[in-house]
Parts: sequence; structure tokens; C-alpha cells
Amino acid sequence: MKLFVFPRWANKTRQIFGVAFAGMPIYLTALVTFGFSPKTTDVGYQPKQPVPYSHALHAGEMGLDCKYCHNTVEQSSHAAIPPTQTCLNCHTLVHPESSKLLPIRESAATNLPVEWVKVHNLPDYVYFNHSAHVTRGVGCVSCHGRVDQMEEVYQDQPLSMSWCLDCHNQPEKNLRPPEEVTNMNWKPPGDAVAYGKALREQNNINPPTDCSTCHR
Amino acid sequence: MSSMNSQPKKPKYWRSLAELEGDPEFSEYVAREFREPLEQTPLSDAGRRRFMQLMGASFALAGCHYREEKILPHTSRPDGQIPGVQTSYVTVMDVAGVATPLVATSYDGRPIKVRGHREDQASLGGTGPFHEASILGLYDPDRSQKVMQGQTPSTWEAFDGALLAAYTAAQKAGGEGFAVLSGAHSSPTLARLRNELKTELPQAAWYVYEPSHAPGKERGAELAFGKRVRELVSPEKADVIVALDSDLISAQSPSGLAYARKVSERRDPDSDSMSRIYAFESLLSELGSLADHRVAVQPSKIAAILAFLEGTIGSELGRATIPAPSADVLGAELHKVLSVVVRELLEKKGKSLVTLGSRYGAELHASAHRLNVLLGNVGSTVRYVEPSETLSGGVDDLAALVADIDAGKVKTLLILGANPVYSAPADIPFAPALGKVEQSFHLGLYRDETGEKCSWHAPEAHFLEVWGDARVQDGTVRIAQPLIEPLLGGRAAIEVLARLLGAPNPSSQALVRATSHLPTDKLWRAAVHSGRYGAAANEVAVEIQAASAFELPSAGELEVIFETDPAVFDGRFANNGWLQELPHPLSKQTWGNAALVGPATAEKLGLGDGHLCEVTIEGRSVSLPSIISPGQAEGTIALTLGYGRTVAGVVGGFLNPAEPVEVSGVDVYKVRPSKAPFLASGSVKKTGGRQELAITQDLWAIDAIGKSGQKQREDQLVRETTLADYKAHPDGIQHKVHHPPLLSLWQPPVSYEGHKWGMAVDLNKCTGCAACIVACQSENNIAVVGRSEVTKGRELTWIRVERYYKGDAKKASVRQQPVMCQQCENAPCEQVCPVGATMHTEEGLNDMVYNRCIGTRYCSNNCPYKVRRFNYRNYNLETIGTTPYTGTDDRRAKLKAMAFNPEVTVRGRGVMEKCTFCVQRIQNAKIVAKNQRRPLKDGEISTACEDACPSGAIVFGDLNDKNSRVAAAQKVPRAYELLQELNNRPRVNYLARISNPHPELSEADEHKSEHH
Repeated sequence: MKLFVFPRWANKTRQIFGVAFAGMPIYLTALVTFGFSPKTTDVGYQPKQPVPYSHALHAGEMGLDCKYCHNTVEQSSHAAIPPTQTCLNCHTLVHPESSKLLPIRESAATNLPVEWVKVHNLPDYVYFNHSAHVTRGVGCVSCHGRVDQMEEVYQDQPLSMSWCLDCHNQPEKNLRPPEEVTNMNWKPPGDAVAYGKALREQNNINPPTDCSTCHR
Repeated sequence: MSSMNSQPKKPKYWRSLAELEGDPEFSEYVAREFREPLEQTPLSDAGRRRFMQLMGASFALAGCHYREEKILPHTSRPDGQIPGVQTSYVTVMDVAGVATPLVATSYDGRPIKVRGHREDQASLGGTGPFHEASILGLYDPDRSQKVMQGQTPSTWEAFDGALLAAYTAAQKAGGEGFAVLSGAHSSPTLARLRNELKTELPQAAWYVYEPSHAPGKERGAELAFGKRVRELVSPEKADVIVALDSDLISAQSPSGLAYARKVSERRDPDSDSMSRIYAFESLLSELGSLADHRVAVQPSKIAAILAFLEGTIGSELGRATIPAPSADVLGAELHKVLSVVVRELLEKKGKSLVTLGSRYGAELHASAHRLNVLLGNVGSTVRYVEPSETLSGGVDDLAALVADIDAGKVKTLLILGANPVYSAPADIPFAPALGKVEQSFHLGLYRDETGEKCSWHAPEAHFLEVWGDARVQDGTVRIAQPLIEPLLGGRAAIEVLARLLGAPNPSSQALVRATSHLPTDKLWRAAVHSGRYGAAANEVAVEIQAASAFELPSAGELEVIFETDPAVFDGRFANNGWLQELPHPLSKQTWGNAALVGPATAEKLGLGDGHLCEVTIEGRSVSLPSIISPGQAEGTIALTLGYGRTVAGVVGGFLNPAEPVEVSGVDVYKVRPSKAPFLASGSVKKTGGRQELAITQDLWAIDAIGKSGQKQREDQLVRETTLADYKAHPDGIQHKVHHPPLLSLWQPPVSYEGHKWGMAVDLNKCTGCAACIVACQSENNIAVVGRSEVTKGRELTWIRVERYYKGDAKKASVRQQPVMCQQCENAPCEQVCPVGATMHTEEGLNDMVYNRCIGTRYCSNNCPYKVRRFNYRNYNLETIGTTPYTGTDDRRAKLKAMAFNPEVTVRGRGVMEKCTFCVQRIQNAKIVAKNQRRPLKDGEISTACEDACPSGAIVFGDLNDKNSRVAAAQKVPRAYELLQELNNRPRVNYLARISNPHPELSEADEHKSEHH
């Protein structure tokens, strides 16, 4: 077997590596800055929806309960987007002619779904279950922010794995009585952490942090 | 030192002949670390450049958001449907007249899984491989999608018009010239429509051809008792079972799954009522694998055995029916065993069961029926009931049809579901006869060999798409409930018939309901909910008619046994990837069939594994590879039907001139004689040449050191003893292995205070039927890898059923041991993963974190059980064309992707995977229980394999729950861990096999425990 001889250009590797090492701090700084910026974690992601549905109006001003539309949230992994029929429960009487509601009426007439754009989009290998959180007393507001003040829904929290784990490790900060989960204005009486601890004790809440809790 | 120099003893257990005999090829095979050099991968050379280009392109894109996803809600959500919550429906699947009640699970309107119906007496929850695989069949894009007139696409209207015109023309002549050919089916609606057709067209003929039709049992009863009756058995009441080539507990036999559960109920050595099973059989059957005594006999010997039993027992009881043959006919050895059997049967009168395989003729079955009467079993272990009307028929019907066509009596032939161009016996020229029919109409799931040759073809609907019904053995009816609208525009056979009979727009639901005669909606809904209606058939008293001795055939030169395949059955499931890749229970062959021969016969013929041979029966020959099958009766050769389909599809084979697809296996219908469709005589000769077979048994073999370790350990891996020894020394099973006290290097990191999942696998119940493998594949999105990848050792199935032969190669019996991830508490895999891709949970599971895995395969190296599977290629993408994470516009790919279970990640290339104890089911059940603020109940969580197991050999549950079934199972003295000396502390326990041999026949001292 012939001996392997490094080609002549290999002499330059030292210089190349030298430059690379010199640039390392800049690279790392950039990595951290961009990697952790809200833009990367999608905080603030606000896609345009086919119907300019205002949560601020419906859930905020008029005070509709979240579960009026997202009624599967306590039984299913999805807090399902309501069927067209739910919109029409009111909108056959309220603003039945509004041009903004055209896609809704079209959907009802053609029996084809309204194509809403997903805002809170978890990776496909994450199996999140709404019912497991809502029935334990994690409020909607904890993950979705003040939806009752959003004209158009945007992502409020990073929804990253470390963000999930923060709460799974210390759920006290985000616990409330299960009947208060949809109340956006709820404030813990007294010390939030102490109150959360008591609730945690009372409802036997021990969020697992095993991989298979969310990934399977 | 002398002992160290002596030749190593031949092991008592062995996994394959190559291993037993130290085949040099085998040694070379295990010496290579990788079976095949890794081929060019997409990331090599040109591939790497392409990769960099793609990466560059994605870096250049502004932002890093996932592609935008849409949510499409219902316009009006159906009552009771909750998106994301699975719903289950009771249904039934009929395969060749055998109905199996099932529960089908739907996820957001899409059926994703079927399992057995536990509350139903007709199956008691078991399933067979093809029931589990029916989900994949539903989403098979090769299924027929459009009506065809000859070679041109047409429409249902045209099909209906042409069929109706032919029908009306025939009606004028009283039905003359009109004929229907169907497969066997137990549907009362289909039977009703057949009778209506006969009323409308009195001269029309209806033929039924089912390749697996074996009328012996029913005709035998008629012969023995002078009336038509149906036999129902209660094996749970039998202390002694004499199984003569019996297929009693096969998933293909009527009520076989329920019988499997009932037989296994009595195989519990920790109770005081363990049964004893004698098996006399030519091939290793499921019941034979449970047997306490197994004697390999040629099929021709069965007549002599029956005559001996009936003759001797009859004269002992003073009710001689036929004379017993002399002992010489049996041979000394067999005579000795049978004498013991006779004595025991006489002792256990009324508590025994004689069961004969369906492939035998009426005379022998009559003898078996008489034996049960003589032994007083009727009324206890055997009941006879009135038979119900079903569609059944076999080669006789097909021969009659061909004769009628040749005589010009058939002008119009309507074929419902059958595929006789492929499955007709060799000496019935169905294909040429079909050409002589003026107009032929074919309704089938596939445009198969027959559909292609008919003047019209129309797509049939899958059983999960339309309403239907089926009758089980006891005469009650099961309703088949659809879960989805016909995906590919198919119609049910009953709809096509009803339209012909004048219903303008028949719906399958209305037809099924009309048959049920249930007067109110409430009753109907109740029937649909429970899946059943109707009363059980009346019991019939039987009396033995005068019997005459039957001929005892002399042993043929070579007795050829035809049997349907455990996976692809008679060929109808040939285009199902899960079934093609399912290892045969004995030969462990995938993607094809072979001629199975016993070792001595193989030696005589010069055959070996993969050697090509030519089997000649009645002057017709077929060439196929052979496999040596230890324990098979010498002088026999077993041929498996169902392979060699030339118009199956992209999985099973398609000899389309444009894009031919490799045909899987060899079609042995080409040599099947109509006079003897199950047992023929023929000759075999070696033709030279070899074919590489895709056999999985030796795939996980290890190197020389490993092999010697394995040999030392074989009787520790699959442990067994006799009942007497077990009762005398219950801890003998534990003493099969001795090791120093087990110390861990570190404190156990987890205390397992909450749940502690565990499993117990009872080797006394496992028959090796392989239903668990398919159930697991369906539940866990396990990819099909294809024939060539299997030969490279890259199959992905998470459960392998290890086959151990025991004893001398010529008389071997078989032990089957399902091995899945053992979920070790001290898991060796976890300790070597450099990226934390396999992690321990607080409940003791070894989690596989796919998105962390970088594919070092260290875990698989370090796993002593070899249960980890690696995705060498992107199998899902390659075989399906898409995954849930890659969009596609390809309709075929989209349809196939619907079979994925949305609760489980679909793995891609370079990722390790393994059994997870169905962690998705655990998590979902835990969430539901906690939502309802209640503790989990035992049995609430079942793994897919546990669900499927017909004999209840697999039990899963919480070991911390003192009352759970698994905790009880792991506490019995025969529970042991695999490789316990390694201190892995596996969570799967095996329950040792305890046989219950007759004291006079027990192999002396063989099982005596080394009790210290």
C-alpha cells in the first residue's frame, strides 16, 4: 500500500484554523444572540387568518368563556378549533351580512372547512395534551398569554422544551383551581408560590419530566 | 483437565440446524460484523454535495419557522366526536367463512388499528396476523380503484347496466346460463340474497370455491351420526387432549382463537388442573407446540392411529365399532405411546377430547367423532349443534362449474371476491374455461389474476368500509360495522346482488338490518353496539351409526402436505407488506415460501436450506427452494399456498410488462391436485442451484465467544421442566443458573415509587402464532424493509419470536419465545449512549428519544438481548413515499400514510428504535385516569402484543399494584429473567415451560432440576 502524503495545500490548514479560532467568540456571540432571540423561538408569530376573528372582542369585551368554542379542551389532547357551526350559532343573527364573515358562510354553504392557520405549532415529535394541563389547573393564560386582549392571536410564550421543563419542575407558579383555568384575570390570593404549593399538594400534581412524557 | 479437553456436548436446545451442526458458512456469517458492506448512502459523494446545497439554501432563508400549517375544523362536528380522542367500534372480519369479532379503533374518523373483541365468546380477544394486518390492506393503493371493461376504464353505471342486461336476459329463460361464483362466507345476508336469486332465477347456479375449504369434519359427522351437525368443543373442560395433526387453535380455524384461549387456560402449572396434550402430527402445529408428548407421524399413519384408538377403546368399553388394526401397523414405538393414551383416555372418560386436523377426509373424521362419543365426551367437552346456512364449497364446486362451462351451460358468470384463475387446482382448467364464458363480471378488492381476465371488473369495498355480517360457530350473528366511507369507490358484494335483485339504490346497512329482522331502532342499535344478535343454534343429540372399518393407506413415496400460509393465507393477503415480512412460525422465512422437509428426508434427497428442488405431483412439477424443518415427519414435504402471485401489486408481485415487480415466493397451486387438495403424494428431486432466503432466525447470531456463551446458556434462556419436578422442587427453575451475588456499581438511581411497568410472558402458553408481531407493527408504525433488507439483517419488527428446537433433530419439538425490549432497570443500553437518546424513566421504562439519536448504535452493541432495531435507510419514505412530516401530492403515498398511528413518531433514517411497552397507551391512559381523578385500574393499559395474543401468554401491568395480574405472574416460582446473571434486572419475566408428561412416557430424568 502506498503511503499517504498530504498534498501541498494542506500546509495552509494552520492558518485557516487560526483564523477560525480567532473568529470563534464572534461566532458564539452571534449564535447565542440569534439562537435565543424571540424571533427564533417564534414568540410573536402572528400569521394572518382567513377571518379577522378578534379574541379581544369575543373573549375580552363580550366575555365569552374560552370553552364556549374550544370545548374539547378538558377531554382531548387538542383544544379543538370550533366547527363552522359554532360561529353560526350567533352569526346567523349577529352581522349575518358582514363581508368579513364571508369565508364562514362559504364554509357552511359548501361544507368545506375554513382554513385557519396554526399559531401554536409544536414540533411533530412532541405529544402535548391540553386535557392533562387544564384539568390539573394550568390556566390558558399561562401558555397563551392574554388572548382576551389580542386582536389577532400571536404566540406569547417560547414553547421551547426548556420552557416546558421550567414549569414541569416547578409547577407551583402556574397552578390555580381547575375551575379558574379560563379566567384571564385570575390572581392568586396572597403568595402565589405558597398558594400553588397548597394546590399542588391538594390535587396531587407531580408533573413527570421523563422523555416519554412528551416524546414517544 | 480431561473434562476440558473432551468434545463439547451437543446442546439440548438449538436455534437452527446450521448452528447445531457448526456449518462453516454460518461461522463465517457470524464473524462479519456487518452482514453486508454498507452501500453508497445518500450522503456519499454526489449526495454530500447535494446535501450542502440544500443546507445552504435553508440557511439563506430568512427566519427559521416551520412551514405554515393549517387547521381544518369540521363545518359541523358529528355528535360524540372529539378531535384527538380515539373511538372504538365493534366489527367482524370474515376470512373464507371464518368470522372473527374485532374492535376497530378510529382516530379522527380514520381507522388505525384493529384488535380482538375480548368480551366476545367467539374469539375471546385473540387475533391472527391477517386480522391485525387488515388495516394496512384498507390503505393499499394497489386495491382496485375503478370499474374496468376489459382493458378500458368504465363506470359503475355501465357495469350495472351490463350486469342487469345479462340478468334480465337470463330471467327470460328462467335463469339458464346465469351463474355466480363466490368464495366461502358466513354472512347470513349473502346467504339470504343467494336464496332470493335462486327464487328469481330457478335455473341459475351458484358455486362456491374456497381453496382452503376442508369439508372433512362436517361430512365425517354426517357419516358418523347420519345427520348434518356442527361440532363445538370446550377444550377448557378436557383433562386430556389427543391432537391428530390438529389445527383446532389456529387463527384460520372456526373459533380457533377462542379455543386457543381455552386450551391455554388449562396450561397453568401453578393451578391444580393442568391438562395433558398428546400430539401426533406431521408438521409442527400450534397445538403441537404446547403438547406434552409430540410424536411426528406421516399423514398416512393418522388413519392407523385413529383405527387403533377407536378399535381398542370401543372393545374395552364393549361397544366395538370398528376392529383395531394390529400393533405391527403402528410400529413398536407408536404402539407404546398409544397404549398409554388409550389407558388415559379410558381413565378420563368424559373429560377428554380427540381432535383431528381439517385436512383429513370424512371417514377419518367420522372415526374421531365416534371416539368422542365412545369416550363420553359429548355433553362435556364436545357439543353438537344444528349447522347454519353458510356459503361454503371447494374443489368439487369449481370442477362442476368448469364442466358446466364446457357444456355451454354458463353464458354469464358473476364472480364475487374469488380469485380462481390463481387459486384453482392444477387439474381444473379454470382460466381457459373463463375465456369461453360470453360475459364475465368480477367484483374484487383487487383487479387480480381473475379480474384481469374477466370482461368486466369492479372494485369491492373493504370490510371496514361497508356494513356486513358474519355468523360464528355457535350460530349467532356478528355485525360488521364500517368505520369509513369506501375510500376507492368500492361496493359490497351484497349491494351488487341486491341491485341485481331489483333494489334501486341498496345500502349495505339496510340489507344487513333486513336480514337481522330486528323490529325496532333501539334493538338494532343495541345489536350494533354489542356487535351481535341472534340465538345460539340448538343442541342436537347424536348417536353412532353403524360404522365400517376404513382403509389404512400405505405410506406414499413422499407425502405432500398443502397448507395455507399463516400470514398471506391462500394468497388473498399477498399484497400486504406486514404479512409478507412476517416470519413463518417455523421456518422464520419472510417474503416467500419454501418446501419444508424433515432432516433425514432432506439428507436422503441431498437438500439443504435454500437448495432448489423440483416437486412433482401427478406429472406436474414446480421448482422451489427447500428448508429443513426439524421435527417434521420424515417422508413428508410441506408446501405453502398463497405465494407466487403474478397480479398482486407492488408488494406481492406484479408481472406487468411495463414495470414488473418481483414476485414473492412460488405458486404451488400449479401442482395442487383436485382429488387430494391437502394431502397428495409426489416426488422430489434436487435440481441444483441455491436461492438466498430471507430467514430471520439467525439474523441476531453473534460471534464465536457469544455463541459458546449462548450454548452454555440455552437451557437457561428457555427454561423448562416437568410438572412433577416443578411440584417437588418449585425453585428448580431458579436454580438453572448460578451466579455470585449480584452487586451493582452504583446505587439504583430510581426508587420506582409510582408505577412500575412490567410484563410476563408465559412460555407454557405461547404457540408462536406471530399475531403479536403484526399487532406491534401496526401500533408502533414499524416500517416494512423489504426482502433484500431482511437478508441483510435489517428487519425492524420490535418483537422477534425466538425458535428453539429441543432434542434430536429428527424428533425435535419446538419452543417459541417472544423477545421484546426487556426494559431493564439496570439497562446496559442507557449507559453507553453518548447523547442521552435512551433514558430511564421514573416508572422504569427505557425511553427511546428519536430526535436525540445520532445513530452510533452503541446501545444495540451493548444490548445482550439484541432487541434494538436500527433504521439503516429511510424505510418509511422509501416504501410509502411520504411520512407525516413530509408533504406530498402523490395520492398513493397519501393513502398509504393513513395507516400510521398518529400517537407514535414515525422514525427516519439513522435512528435506533425498539419496543417501548406501548408508551403512548400508558401515557394516554394515565392522563385520562388523572383527568377523572381516579387511580389506574389493572388491565386498563394493555400493550398491542398482549391484546393480540390468542392464548393470553402476555400480561402487562403495574408491578407496584399488588393485585395486578402481572405482579401475580411474576411471583410464581417459575418466573425467571433472561440473563439474570448480568444484573440487568429486566422488567420482562418469562414463565418457564412446565410440561405434564405421562409418568410412563416421560423422558427419564431429562428435566430433573439441579437442586442444591
